[in-house]
Amino acid sequence: MLKPKGFTTRVIHTPFAKEDVHRALHQPIYSNAAFDFESAENMELAFQGRLPGHAYSRISNPTVENLELRVKEMTGALNVTALSSGMAAISNVILLLASNGTNIVVSNHLFGNTLVFFDTTIREFGIEARFCDLTDPAEVRKNLDGKTVAVFAESITNPQLEVADLLLLSGIAHEIGVPLIVDSTLTPPNVFRAKNFGVDIEVLSSTKCISGGATSVGGLIVDYGTFDWGKSAKLAPLAKRFGPFAFNYKLRREIFRNLGACLSPFAAYLQSLGLETLQLRFEKAVENCMDMAQFLTTIPRVKAVNYPGTKGSKFYDISKKQFGNYPGAMLTFDFGSKEECFVFINRLVIIKRSTNVYDNKTLIIHPASTIYCDFSQSDRENMHVYDTTVRLSLGIEDVEDLKNDILQALV
Amino acid sequence: MASIQVNGKNQEVETPVSLVDVMKMNNVTQPEMVSVQVNGEFVNRENYSTVQINQGDEVDFLYFMGGGSRC
Repeated sequence: MLKPKGFTTRVIHTPFAKEDVHRALHQPIYSNAAFDFESAENMELAFQGRLPGHAYSRISNPTVENLELRVKEMTGALNVTALSSGMAAISNVILLLASNGTNIVVSNHLFGNTLVFFDTTIREFGIEARFCDLTDPAEVRKNLDGKTVAVFAESITNPQLEVADLLLLSGIAHEIGVPLIVDSTLTPPNVFRAKNFGVDIEVLSSTKCISGGATSVGGLIVDYGTFDWGKSAKLAPLAKRFGPFAFNYKLRREIFRNLGACLSPFAAYLQSLGLETLQLRFEKAVENCMDMAQFLTTIPRVKAVNYPGTKGSKFYDISKKQFGNYPGAMLTFDFGSKEECFVFINRLVIIKRSTNVYDNKTLIIHPASTIYCDFSQSDRENMHVYDTTVRLSLGIEDVEDLKNDILQALV
Repeated sequence: MASIQVNGKNQEVETPVSLVDVMKMNNVTQPEMVSVQVNGEFVNRENYSTVQINQGDEVDFLYFMGGGSRC
């Protein structure tokens, strides 16, 4: 039987879990909370996990499951769980793996909310985040010890746009028997094959390009089944019973179910549709970003342009190795002062002032005064978040219109 | 014949019988979506056809996704 190989074909033709009674070509939206059972016996079996069946939409739902199956198909993962946001995906994974007295080695350059989650939220529960430069293998090794439960990285850091060597990082993590977790929101699975670079658990904000261009908020946990959970003190007893499913067992039967950060069926429907055009949209956004990076270097008032897809970037080679011709659709550039940034941002007409990334629309933000406003100036500078920097997330518009908007805003 | 337990229920099966035979008898059509234990221990997929099920064994299939199977 002919099996499709292309990314988009496989996503579009991922079979439903069960054939729709009306033979609908899109998985319908099951917006109900609960499901009926044929008998008390079947209900018991389903609750035990011994019979496939949906019981309650906080735990599983056919429309959400269809999204999970599509992501499973496109990533080759062992298990996929869809959640209410990218931060829900991160917090579920960390709470699953860590406990009081353990530590996680993380990049000192992280998305703002992720940074606060590691630095404040979990610290209050006795879990230490050890911030270090993940592009420096010696520094990573120095921070790992017997209480480390994971290494956490972003595939491209936001907004610094640094790229760590993930294969090298996974080797270091696996040397001491801990998994590598990567937030690959800026490099979705159509361009970044996380499993090939030693990533054990991938987390994504599906709000961004997966949703179809910021149509809805969601998150994904992609479990590749590659890590030996017998090496995890917390999961070793489950690993004996469930092998590579140990992580997913604890996630689906405890953490995810009890924290309640489930994805709504309507959001799952939108994100499932979004997956169908992911490759088309992301190609265009990256093409726009490449073009824009080049264009910005020609503008005298722009002091610097930062994009791992340009040959001048110190991360160009590793980015090329990991993401091929798709080094993300986001760049930063610098003016002479914060005031100059604000004047420029205020004059833009087509480009929108917004905190999100990977919308179909091109979005701009001044990270220092917004996402990082709760940090001191010196903390921001330590994180390489500067007052003179603006972040531009490229959409799929016609790039000449975007260039013209930038030119008129510079007058 | 052997008396075994599958997902907590007694079953009589003709011997010799492998794990993959028991899975077929119980309509486990998508093994990649199910975790399989024999007597409380996880069994790798590549061993399904070689693991023999014996008198008194307990076999458990656990699904982690709601719909679970395309049956």
